[in-house]
Amino acid sequence: MSVHEREDRALRLQRVAELLAEAVTPQEVLDAILTEGVRAAEARAGAIGVLSPDRESIELLAQQGYPGPIMEDWGRFPISGGLPMSHVVRTGEPLFVSTRQERDELFPGLAGQGQGGGAMVVLPLAVEGRVFGAMALSFEEGVEFGRERREMKIALARLASQNLARSQLYEQEQALRERMTFLAEASEILSSSLDYHHTLGELARLAVPRLADWCTIDMADENGEIERLAVAHEDPEKVRWANELQVRYPPNPDDPHGVPQVLRSGEPEFFPSIPARLLDEAIGDDPELRRIIDELGLRSSICVPLRARGRTFGALTLIAAETHPPFTEADFALATELARRAAVAVDNARLYGEAENGANAAQALAHVADGVVLLDPDGVVRHWNPAAAAITGVDEKHAVGKPVGGVVPAWATLTSHVPLSAPGERGTGPVTVPLVREGHERWLAISGVDFGEGTVYALQDVTDEHALEKTRSDFVATASHELRTPLAAVYGAVRTLRREDVELSEEHRAAFLDMIESESLRLSKIVGQILLAGQLDADAVELSLSACDPAAVAADVIESASVELPDGISLGLSADGTRSIECDEAKLKQVLVNLVDNAIKYSPDGGRVTIRLDQNGSGCLIEVADHGLGIPASEQERIFEKFYRLDPQQTKGVGGSGLGLYICRELVERMEGRLWVESEPGVGSRFSVELPVSA
Amino acid sequence: MPKEPQAAGDDSGAGTSTEATCVLVVDDEHSIRLLCRVNLGASGIDVLEADDGETALELARREQPDLILLDVMMPGLDGWGVARELAHDERTRDIPVVFLTARAEASDRRRGAQLGGVGYLLKPFDPVGIGELVEDVLARIGRGEREQLQRGIAAEHER
Repeated sequence: MSVHEREDRALRLQRVAELLAEAVTPQEVLDAILTEGVRAAEARAGAIGVLSPDRESIELLAQQGYPGPIMEDWGRFPISGGLPMSHVVRTGEPLFVSTRQERDELFPGLAGQGQGGGAMVVLPLAVEGRVFGAMALSFEEGVEFGRERREMKIALARLASQNLARSQLYEQEQALRERMTFLAEASEILSSSLDYHHTLGELARLAVPRLADWCTIDMADENGEIERLAVAHEDPEKVRWANELQVRYPPNPDDPHGVPQVLRSGEPEFFPSIPARLLDEAIGDDPELRRIIDELGLRSSICVPLRARGRTFGALTLIAAETHPPFTEADFALATELARRAAVAVDNARLYGEAENGANAAQALAHVADGVVLLDPDGVVRHWNPAAAAITGVDEKHAVGKPVGGVVPAWATLTSHVPLSAPGERGTGPVTVPLVREGHERWLAISGVDFGEGTVYALQDVTDEHALEKTRSDFVATASHELRTPLAAVYGAVRTLRREDVELSEEHRAAFLDMIESESLRLSKIVGQILLAGQLDADAVELSLSACDPAAVAADVIESASVELPDGISLGLSADGTRSIECDEAKLKQVLVNLVDNAIKYSPDGGRVTIRLDQNGSGCLIEVADHGLGIPASEQERIFEKFYRLDPQQTKGVGGSGLGLYICRELVERMEGRLWVESEPGVGSRFSVELPVSA
Repeated sequence: MPKEPQAAGDDSGAGTSTEATCVLVVDDEHSIRLLCRVNLGASGIDVLEADDGETALELARREQPDLILLDVMMPGLDGWGVARELAHDERTRDIPVVFLTARAEASDRRRGAQLGGVGYLLKPFDPVGIGELVEDVLARIGRGEREQLQRGIAAEHER
């Protein structure tokens, strides 16, 4: 070999090295080796194959100069086979074959294959002593491989190895970078919104076609039903089709593979190559499904669980079908990481939703009129809404975190008769109990639900309802009493007078006759009031309006009242310069009689009862005043309610239907007037009637 | 025709009679008290009267009547309260109580029975038979039928 030749080879190697230095991607490296490298080696053709990740087979990456479809025919072959590349990868030693005859002897399987009778060199590709592939060079003619030729080829293989490995590292780094970028984008999507239905849809769309041909996300609901949350494919038409498919072939939660399996077990499922057996099992005897699966061309699948806090609630599925290469371990790792991030995002969104619901509930509770009290199993207050604060008079901040017995001392008594129902159970209804607070009695309707982790009590302030109910039942008792008592007297007096077995004294006979008269009047009056109240309710009271002198009516009332005046009571009338008004004289008289009767009745210790008339801007003012018991401020409006009576404890010896003042106010208002009271307990009361000049 | 005993109900007269039955009539209505006094007197029964609850308790403790006719709706301490107080006091707990009331509700009857009443007379009532009623109740209690009487109150129908 001449110096010139040697220099020439060195230059050619130099040229290859330069080209390789510019090559970045594995493809560019392969191109450089297979064009300049093959030329530098003076070979006719060349090919490069690499070990598969499982190191079981060799995959042909590229070739240059071989005729025919060798990439298709020899694209992938086992490392254990009888091909030169297999041999070299196995041994790690370069193979130099000078003639075709020698080749066929060494590799009988190749006999009759290939063209020409040229030499062949197969060189291991290795970095750091580890073989990762082989480069084959084929020559037109036989070649005697001397030391320098061999060294040149080995140097070329070393160049190829280094650059290929370097470019693959670069590619891996690129892939890693892409994955990182992808994960970053995915995270961005996941954190963009708390609406995880939306974000998972976006995530699935991000995954295709970069990560897979198909990406689906399924969730399991509380009932174990599988809901498809997202399905993505580059072609919207296919998405539509997949959605229809999902409807026609809904997932069976008991399926041994795929999403149902992953949801059940919480373990991922990774098929670099989907076994035909699995598809057959899934398809069964359905020819239509067979056609669809074939059309889909499923090659490889990854299904990873969406898990958070120990619970699997969904699955992310990636499928490589028509375009995407089969998934690798790296894809699986990426999918796992993606699912992890998605699961955390979904979990956070759900937690936030729950917290927000909790906050909404708290907000809603803040507005409900019912007191809501939540106690933990130790009886410590956990929630105390504003209504509970209003009802009990204890602020939320003085209640939450404290034992309820310390917050409301009467709590145990209050709730001792409240039956606790289980959640969702139809309770027995609230129990109404009194709570004395600052000397006032409040009536609370309390119901409770024991939900295992504590107890919720609803407190309703039914003081008004209770008062109304009590008023009603009091009325029944009152009306009964007011009707039955005079009736008992009249009936009893008559029965006694007619007794033949006893001779009554004259004194008693007279007393019974008086009794019959006065109790009959009383009976007639109470019956009249009840009837009138009924008419007022039915709006059946007719007014007969005419010009009337209120002073004359008042004088008439005073005169009647003076007939049987109790001891210690004196009557007075002052009527200066009043004018005639238009009203129903009989009704006005009825009102004044009632007011004067009341004034006398509620002045058990005597005193002066007066009627005073005055001119009022637009009409006439009539005041009936006494110096009697007076009316507590809290009762001053209620006395005009139907059936309402002052507490008998405070009005010893005073009976009544509870209708008098109700009737008075109704009558005055029907005459376009007003009736009100000013009173002070122990000092007296003043009832004022204001009537317009013309009604 | 016998004349009604003129002094029935007066402390002077009733207190001295050792044989006569003594009934305490409690009602804020003068008419009802008068009816009871006259008709019970006609049956030879002595009558004590109280027009409110506190007076009734005081008289019951002091005079130990054989029976109390008790109105319910009275100002101040009402009949329910009087019955409760009577039952809580050793000196009065055995005195039979017959309610004499205008309260016609079934719940009132139950309440009367719970408070230990042995009779429930709804107003209006026939005063002519009241002496007989008192003697009958006392006779039955004497035969140990107090509990039957109490149970009978709640079961009784409105007349």
